[in-house]
Amino acid sequence: MAKRILIDTDPGIDDSLAILLALASPELSLEGLSVVHGNCSLEQAVANGLSILELANASRVPLAKGCELPLVQPSLLAPETHGNSGLGYANLPKPRSRPTVQHGSDLLIEKIMSNPGEFTLVAIGPLTNVALAIRKEPRMVDALKELIIMGGAIRHEGNTTALAEFNTYVDPHAAHIVYHAGIPITLVPLDVTYQCVLMASDVERLLKIDSPISQFIRDATGFYMEYHDSYQGIKGCVINDPLALALTFASELCDYQELPVDVDISGGVSTGKTFADFYNYDKKPVNMKVALGVRPRDFIELFLERTEGLSRKIP
Amino acid sequence: MSPKRIIIDTDPGVDDALTFLLALASPEIQLEALTTTQGNVTLEKATRNALSVLELGRASHIPVAAGSMYPLVQPLRASTDVHGSSGIGDARLPEPKSKPIAQHAVDYLIERVLAEPNEISIFPIGPLTNLAMAIRKEPKFSKAVKELVIMGGAIQENGNVTPLAEFNIFVDPHAAHIVFHAGIPTTLIPLDVTHKCLLKQEQVDRLMKIKSPVTQFIKDAIEIYLKFSYDRGFAGCALHDPLTLAAIIAPELLTLKEYYVDVDHSGGVAMGKTFADIFGVTQKPANMKVAVGVRGDDFIELFIQRMEILARSITE
Repeated sequence: MAKRILIDTDPGIDDSLAILLALASPELSLEGLSVVHGNCSLEQAVANGLSILELANASRVPLAKGCELPLVQPSLLAPETHGNSGLGYANLPKPRSRPTVQHGSDLLIEKIMSNPGEFTLVAIGPLTNVALAIRKEPRMVDALKELIIMGGAIRHEGNTTALAEFNTYVDPHAAHIVYHAGIPITLVPLDVTYQCVLMASDVERLLKIDSPISQFIRDATGFYMEYHDSYQGIKGCVINDPLALALTFASELCDYQELPVDVDISGGVSTGKTFADFYNYDKKPVNMKVALGVRPRDFIELFLERTEGLSRKIP
Repeated sequence: MSPKRIIIDTDPGVDDALTFLLALASPEIQLEALTTTQGNVTLEKATRNALSVLELGRASHIPVAAGSMYPLVQPLRASTDVHGSSGIGDARLPEPKSKPIAQHAVDYLIERVLAEPNEISIFPIGPLTNLAMAIRKEPKFSKAVKELVIMGGAIQENGNVTPLAEFNIFVDPHAAHIVFHAGIPTTLIPLDVTHKCLLKQEQVDRLMKIKSPVTQFIKDAIEIYLKFSYDRGFAGCALHDPLTLAAIIAPELLTLKEYYVDVDHSGGVAMGKTFADIFGVTQKPANMKVAVGVRGDDFIELFIQRMEILARSITE
């Protein structure tokens, strides 16, 4: 039976690739998207999410609009990374479908509470929606089967400040709430995602199949690769979110360590820094499993095979 | 003038309970609902106390919506030393017959406020968790609230939970930060003024001359709190929460000044401290009116008179 998943997302180039990977994977049943501010404005992220679903003939998947601002911090978007539209050079048609009337946090609560122990939630944006849902419905914590979070930089340098990773930096208070809620969590930090680089040659291989899917991936990642080159000196682009998504059905791609993890919310230079207590100085219990090793080529190969399959289906 | 329509967001709490009674006793006020939150007591007790006190005031038609069980980021804490383990001192009200509505307080606040923009004022007299969640969940909420009158903060007064911080703000400083900066017309009633509104034993004795479940409740509820206050060197127990209603029923008793106000949520010794930029050193525009002066004895007298009227109308 397919694994039932929900994605909380701020699409976003790599978010879009994660959504496509979910739709391309027979192991998964994608049953809802809750959208949050982050890579781009909420409005833009909602439109992008709907457009991606339409591109993959998956408008049946409900999409709910969530929070437009972080809990406490001021808004921070990432147009330099994802382009002004949030999808790089891709120019998808305006979506015909609409978001549900339900709020993103309520979609999560309703799906999870009506199917206790069933859902895996993959959170690949700032954690505002998830935190709000946990505080509004505390029982959600026990009803959620598993939470996979793309976020944090444990030993790796940050991609937003010297220390902090974007999703966590944008709403560190939400991350604090989610980390300590008591949900079984797998964290997918930059330590592993920055080893997963999609190369121009990978995209060329994909383009041998003529499809709106392969063309979208070219247009979106083209911008993303230019960003990685000019800001970080990386050839190719790091596809963070698809790795987190892949772990729902291919957990063997990573090696994990169980650790007490926390995030700095004090407002100093390390605000938004996610850290693990490897030597257990603080004598706090383990609160998550952290991916610290990855087989990057296996993952990129999986991503390419799946998106090739989806491209063939949608000519 | 038609009565002002208010929702009280509350964590009852002895002085919270007195606030409901004062609202029910005041023709200037139409109490539309109570929304509950953790704070003085757990959410469960807060909700039960809210229902019980409304029943005591013959007002169980007023809806109660249960809200947040935990502060946003900080761990849960309750203050049983002031309010007793039940939250209403030694008062023993019967189990309420009425129930809270099914809707979550956050959604109830959003629905009521958006249905009638600029009609409903909200009086938060507990930690600000529910308000903060409503603001973040529904971006249109802030513009549609008529006004907030918040009991919270200690501007130039000592804190009552740390040397610097007042209880409601300390319990959920992140929520306070969200609410203070939401752009809603706000009046703050801090400890600076509530500590000047002290109810004394002899005034409780005066109330007890009227035999009523209302006066009996006030006496029983307030006993622990009164002793606690005398032990700390106060001349009586401060009616923190009821003073918010002075903004409607006796605004002339309050002196208000406009300030830029913020709250420390950085986790150091000043965690939860509410401060006002009195000299304008930050150059930031004022975001609320702060009560800096009060005619405390006049307010206490008004409170007692209203309770006497209510007590006379409710005799067993």
